[in-house]
Amino acid sequence: MTTKTGRSVAEMEPEKASQSASQSSELLLGLYRSMLKCRMCDEKARVLFKQSKYGGNFYSAVGQEATEVGAAYTLRDDDWIAPSHRDWISNIIKGAPLKFCYAQLFAKATSPDRGRSSPAHMGYPPLNVITPASSIAGQLNVGTGVALGLKKLGRDTVVVAFFGDGATSIGGFHEALNFAGVHRLPIIYVCQNNLWAESVPLRLQTAVTDLSVKAQAYGFPGVTVDGNDIMAVYDASVRAIARARAGEGPTLIECKTYRWYGHSEIDPAKYRIKEEVEAWKKKEPIGRFEKVLVEQKLLNDQKKAAMAAEITAEIDEAVEFAEKSPYPDASEATDFVWA
Amino acid sequence: MARSLNFIDALNEALHQEMERDERVFLLGEDIGVSGGVFKATAGLYDKFGEERVMDTPLAEGIIIAAAIGSAMVGLRPIAEIQFTDFVTPAMDQIIQQAAKIRYRSAGGFDCPITVRICCGGGVSGGLYHSQENAAWFVHEPGLKVVMPSTAYDAKGMMLAAIRDPNPVIFFEHKKLYRTAKGDVPEGDYVVPIGPVAVRREGKDMTVLTYGFMTQVALDAAEEMAKQGVDVEVVDVRTLNPLDKDGILASVRKTSKCLIVHEDKRTMGIGAELAAIVAEEAFEDLDGPIVRITGPDIPAIPFSPPLEKFFLVNKEKIVAAMESLAKY
Ligand SMILES: Cc1ncc(C[n+]2csc(CCOP(=O)(O)OP(=O)(O)O)c2C)c(N)n1
Ligand SMILES: [Mg+2]
Repeated sequence: MTTKTGRSVAEMEPEKASQSASQSSELLLGLYRSMLKCRMCDEKARVLFKQSKYGGNFYSAVGQEATEVGAAYTLRDDDWIAPSHRDWISNIIKGAPLKFCYAQLFAKATSPDRGRSSPAHMGYPPLNVITPASSIAGQLNVGTGVALGLKKLGRDTVVVAFFGDGATSIGGFHEALNFAGVHRLPIIYVCQNNLWAESVPLRLQTAVTDLSVKAQAYGFPGVTVDGNDIMAVYDASVRAIARARAGEGPTLIECKTYRWYGHSEIDPAKYRIKEEVEAWKKKEPIGRFEKVLVEQKLLNDQKKAAMAAEITAEIDEAVEFAEKSPYPDASEATDFVWA
Repeated sequence: MARSLNFIDALNEALHQEMERDERVFLLGEDIGVSGGVFKATAGLYDKFGEERVMDTPLAEGIIIAAAIGSAMVGLRPIAEIQFTDFVTPAMDQIIQQAAKIRYRSAGGFDCPITVRICCGGGVSGGLYHSQENAAWFVHEPGLKVVMPSTAYDAKGMMLAAIRDPNPVIFFEHKKLYRTAKGDVPEGDYVVPIGPVAVRREGKDMTVLTYGFMTQVALDAAEEMAKQGVDVEVVDVRTLNPLDKDGILASVRKTSKCLIVHEDKRTMGIGAELAAIVAEEAFEDLDGPIVRITGPDIPAIPFSPPLEKFFLVNKEKIVAAMESLAKY
């Protein structure tokens, strides 16, 4: 049968994650833990929203953890991330304290932006995560500008820009990648192709099969990877980051992945068929990687439970901090307009 | 030492001097490098500073501004050129959603000290798409400073102020001023602060609030009125955002009459805000209605000479308005 995105379900049989025999167990477990943490934080954010602990909305990245972690895991503190609406967890991977991440959702005075941006539109200036606007592809343009600045300053710092499949259609995407190609900028464009832009399927977004081919028009490499295979994303990202650091220019990495839930917490996603969702859930990144780690005897139920307990404790503490934090005073609304 | 310079040469000198003084400053835009710009505002800079600091960009206004914003966020001082204001629209997303808001939305986590030079203005047979002003689009955005100098002295001094300002500054250059506004310009470094109005002609009978090229036209009209015994004060509102309310109100309170003159279209234009400020805060000082002389509400300045003339504010139109306002 064919899904609404035009891909056959048979093509999407569950697979095992690839394994890099050469990687240290520390790295493999670190990647796993990071994905697990992202998943648990994200699920908690959804629960808190459903409990009306905060208003607005939330854009879950559950199902897409491998693309976020694989791309951002090796970034240094001085590297940059240009996130979009679905990349709240990229702050967590970069190392933003969890309490600030929940304070951001709660729009409290303790959030990095002191309650200005909508939930999940989070940046963390101390670690160079750019506070995002909602405008699709806005950040990948600003991120490209940051990459220009870094190059001019002669730094070996890089930028990772996250965006969705929908973002590849807007003019700014073309302008940014074209410019980055001309100036060989130190930026990695990570497209999380989750086959949907809100309710619009990929076939109405583009006539190409692999979005990575677009890089060809800009004169730099584009690769498509299984975005639910952490090691595939990791390997491609490590190569792209090394390339960028060495001054060899940008890379476009298309990660084929899937969001489990609706576009946001208020979207029942009725435009998707059950079979598509179920097929993709079977391919989800954490379970796949878990199998590999269990086979390699790096992980067992006990270890996993201990990890989860640690993360839960951290989340509980962070949520408590967020809940107890005060709202900003109304008079603060006029702060930070002018430098 | 001051010598007499054209507006455009004063601007060019500011760019030269600031690029020498501050190595964080760089320029980017279309045709600004090898060719020195359509109007030669950036002449000589490419030869002196090279292509890294005087960048000819792809033809894409959005990324010109985004590249400026991002490099400003890492500590550089970019100056972007928009060749004609008529083509700023592809960059509006970056200017409005990013430049004007990045500091606010990050609660001061990221700053955006960019200067955007925009060439604007009619009266040169530019037609629909090389004559617009569009300053009103930007003054509606707190977070953006908007300036439009009218003299060669201010062109240099305000450019230096704009580059050094920690906020994004939209710097409008009326193309008719480039080679008509000539005046004394000091050779050395000086700053004309962004904010305060400049009283270009003192008078006691009537205030004209204006800016840009219209300042020259209003001054000509004021001389005409002097012959009729009406003493007109001309106030150059050279910073359009944030407005110098005190400077504006001080003049209106003194003269009790307020005429507002601008080249751009009327409805919701800069003049509407100026009129509102005067009405709200100086109502009791007024001896007559607040009057606006502006361009008409048609989409842009048409090309054919009689049509262009219909659009543009000139001395005669201003004098006529002054004469009727003087009767109150
Ligand atoms: C310029 C712009 N247009 C429309 C929207 C509304 N909007 C927010 S997210 C979205 C879909 C984005 O899809 P995609 O880029 O694939 O990212 P995903 O949500 O799938 O992660 C739309 C239409 C927006 N934020 N910005
Ligand atoms: Mg999508």
